[in-house]
Amino acid sequence: MQDGVFNELADLALKGSGQAIPRSKSYLIEARLAPIARREGFGSLEDLVHCLKSRANPVFAAECAAALVSKDTWFFRERETLQRLAEDILPVRLKAGNTGRLKVWIAGGSTGQEAYSLAMMLEDDMPPALRGAKIEILSTDLCKAAIERARTGRYGHYEVQKGLSIHRLMKHFTRTDSGQWEISEVLRSRVSFRQHNLLESAGGLGKFDVILCRNVLSGMDRAARSRVADSLAAQLMPGGLILLGQGESLIGLTNQLEPSRDFRGAWGAADPNRKPVATSVA
Amino acid sequence: MKTCLIVDDSRVVRKVAARIIKDMRFDVAEAGDGAEALEYCRKQMPDAVLLDWNMPVMNGLDFLRALRREEGGKKPVVMFCSIENDAEHVSEALRSGADEFIMKPFDAEILESKFAEVGLI
Repeated sequence: MQDGVFNELADLALKGSGQAIPRSKSYLIEARLAPIARREGFGSLEDLVHCLKSRANPVFAAECAAALVSKDTWFFRERETLQRLAEDILPVRLKAGNTGRLKVWIAGGSTGQEAYSLAMMLEDDMPPALRGAKIEILSTDLCKAAIERARTGRYGHYEVQKGLSIHRLMKHFTRTDSGQWEISEVLRSRVSFRQHNLLESAGGLGKFDVILCRNVLSGMDRAARSRVADSLAAQLMPGGLILLGQGESLIGLTNQLEPSRDFRGAWGAADPNRKPVATSVA
Repeated sequence: MKTCLIVDDSRVVRKVAARIIKDMRFDVAEAGDGAEALEYCRKQMPDAVLLDWNMPVMNGLDFLRALRREEGGKKPVVMFCSIENDAEHVSEALRSGADEFIMKPFDAEILESKFAEVGLI
């Protein structure tokens, strides 16, 4: 890929989603934009870049930027975190809230496997402390196509065999005539999906008891991570928590959040009396 | 090191699966049908069995039922790996003592995921 084409597309990804794609991973750009280039009849990515530059089409540019974000996800990814959420964190939040309602936001939920995994876990192994609670699960993603797929609840042969036991597959899915596997209506009704760019204000989504933002920030540049961290912090209910992917951290990114004292690996609103952490952007 | 017995009448499938399973640090043994697999198990019970359904001489289901009746035959984790993957076949496999079911075709990620699912890795 020519430097000019790479620079244009890497810049598009950075501005559109905060994703930092290094030159060494230019193959990701080719792989992720190939379907759009084919659909639009472009002979090369150079032609696609030329189109993006010559015609102001924010919808098409946003679609390309969203396509450049990793969609990598699978059922029950980092299962231990989901188990801690269901068994430890949600019961505590339910008791603290005293409303009988819990709201969970899966930020950057791609094609929905994470949201459906949580719904399945709660259906199959509902902790006694959560019985009777109304648990709302919202999954958002920047990519419209990913959200549309998530809403259908349909997954392919390889997707349903990654992270999902045969027992759960048989219990919660049916095979469609086209050979795909469709998740049950019951589970679909427990999860909602909405398109949302994490770089933009999430005020319209409401406040949440728990926000899962796993393996999303690690692909972003530092300025974007910092902006998203502040945005997520603004959507936490008092006492609410943020859970990140394994190995991810918010240290140095925001003054709004600090490690939870009660739940290792979780992040909650920072104590306003605490000395602020430097958030200078390199 | 744990041992996995791959039972499939296709040499190609055995070869592909063996390569993936060896990468998961298993010793691998192979059998071309259920009777050969049962003979192996009577000498040395493996920790895991990757089992095809349709095979000559003795099919996967008959092997599984016979295995579970053997002394020590409840120990191996048995994962069916078959193209016969409609709900009826899967239910029958689980009722007969299978621990997991892998739908062919498979790849390394699927095998790793299923081995993790049943606690082998």
